[in-house]
Amino acid sequence: MSSVTIRGIKKRYGALSVLHGIDLDIADQEFVVLVGPSGCGKSTLLRMIAGLESVSSGTIAIGERVINDVPPKSRDIAMVFQNYALYPHMSVYENMSFSLRLRRQAKDIIDRKVREAAEILNLGKFLDRSPRQLSGGQRQRVAMGRALVRDARVFLFDEPLSNLDAKLRVVMRVEIKALHQRLKTTSVYVTHDQIEAMTMADRIVVMNAGRIEQIGTPLQLYDTPANLFVADFIGSPSMNVIHGTLHIDAGGVHVEAADGTRLAVPQVASGRDGQKVVYGVRPEHMTLAEDETGAPAIVEVVEPTGANIQVYCKLAQTSVCAIFTERHEFRPDQQISLTCPPDKIHLFDAESGLRL
Amino acid sequence: MPSKLRRSIFYWLILSPLVVVILFPFGVMFVTAVRPRDELFVYPPTWGFSEFRWENFAEMWVKTNFGGALMNSLYVSITATAIALLLSIPAAYAMSRYHFSGKGAYRTFLLMTQMMSPIVLVLGLFRLMMSLGLVNDLNSLVLIYAAFNMAFTIWMLQSYFNSIPRDLEEAAWMDGASHLTSLVRIFLPLAVPAITVTAIFTFINSWNEFVLALTMMRSSDDYTLPVQIYAQVAGRYQVEWHHVMAGTVLATLPVAIVFSWLQRYLIRGMALGAVK
Repeated sequence: MSSVTIRGIKKRYGALSVLHGIDLDIADQEFVVLVGPSGCGKSTLLRMIAGLESVSSGTIAIGERVINDVPPKSRDIAMVFQNYALYPHMSVYENMSFSLRLRRQAKDIIDRKVREAAEILNLGKFLDRSPRQLSGGQRQRVAMGRALVRDARVFLFDEPLSNLDAKLRVVMRVEIKALHQRLKTTSVYVTHDQIEAMTMADRIVVMNAGRIEQIGTPLQLYDTPANLFVADFIGSPSMNVIHGTLHIDAGGVHVEAADGTRLAVPQVASGRDGQKVVYGVRPEHMTLAEDETGAPAIVEVVEPTGANIQVYCKLAQTSVCAIFTERHEFRPDQQISLTCPPDKIHLFDAESGLRL
Repeated sequence: MPSKLRRSIFYWLILSPLVVVILFPFGVMFVTAVRPRDELFVYPPTWGFSEFRWENFAEMWVKTNFGGALMNSLYVSITATAIALLLSIPAAYAMSRYHFSGKGAYRTFLLMTQMMSPIVLVLGLFRLMMSLGLVNDLNSLVLIYAAFNMAFTIWMLQSYFNSIPRDLEEAAWMDGASHLTSLVRIFLPLAVPAITVTAIFTFINSWNEFVLALTMMRSSDDYTLPVQIYAQVAGRYQVEWHHVMAGTVLATLPVAIVFSWLQRYLIRGMALGAVK
């Protein structure tokens, strides 16, 4: 069993606290992505799982075994580093076989395992080259191959695609996901890119300033973000947010923005009349209102991407983005009316940021 | 004439006085070493001579106990270099990779000791060696050279070690290597250029050192090469200049060869040490 259990993990560097109590359960064979802005502590958490950083308090366990005091070399974890960390004085073959040679495995077994991994990752013809003769994508594959040959219980990825260009990142994302589907090894993947998180994860852990904001499947986070931070972080372009006041009366519920614009809102489970709230709706859920119930907006900038049209407009004195897949004609300064389906509206308390 | 060629010629012309000044003594040294004895003091002095008297070298070797002094110099330089490196590499590794209290003070200490020349401290060092019973023993020089070079070697090695990514050792640990294994199989092979450069510096400093060797070594059998050559000139009624120059040629030759062979490491090492 290669589940990873993290309980009450805290990390301090002297007086500076970077992780404030992390609880996380990663199931066997699961692909979990830790995502968050720079400095949120995701890499620190990953390195603590790897054993490269000490644990200030709390426990980390793989399966049934608590590994706090187990050195990295004995944890049976393979790691892919952001800068690849390939041994420059060894060939690709030697890089990939290093861990097996350390374990003094038989030469023919080493050869078979290395060639199998090279086959999976299309590295067959690069085995005799040295790392400096490879491109970025090839080096990253060698780093993955080095992890692959080991049959480790857990794979850790520390922003492995950050140093690659955009196109290559898309290709490698698919490769990593395909690899996981094939090998089914428990994997923990760190990234600051929410698109990588959404496309690759079984579950996503959104972190911010040393705390977990929300854990869920990609669509759970997308459809029901627990707070403003998650709502803003997940989804590109980000969710539109408009500040206003909640009004609950006999006629129904609505949010009134600072300039008086009324925004229709479905029934909310919690929320008081007069509460300061944040009204959120994703750009892709906005539509043009057919009747008078829409909110008035003024077009500022139109960006046709080909697949859709991104329209930036001013609504209730706030800049919002609306994405339309249908081809409309928009001009700057044009007055339009926007609405969205009631089930796609998100409401958050303005002070705490929590979802209502 | 293409401008690049013109520029080269121009620069050579500007630099030529400097080249002459630097190469002139070496030229005189070589010519004096190979000319016959009776042509040493012709007046006016001339570059030309009748024949290449290579026997000067053989005579010099025997007469001045050159072989013995050469062995002494080699022993002292190689051993001092080895000891300095043996102790500097772990020290530089610790400075580069670990945090420990007193690290800043230690670094300042290293910097300060580099400013001290052993020549200034020769009296104190002599008394120290006396109390250790090492006067007139080559090992006194080994100890002193190793100690005084270490400040420089630790400083230089640490700068270079800082440029070796920590990821590599971490990757080795994840692959199952112990700290020692990752140090020996991953780190040290990458540190070879820096270690080589540092070794050259230490070797050359030890080879050329004169004042301490003159002070510590009392009997001519134990002289190192610079002192032995000096002894052919100092306090003599008659100086065999062709032998002296032949000895000097041979004394400077190993250093020149080592320098030219390893100069690419030298430039790279200096640049890396300087930038980091």
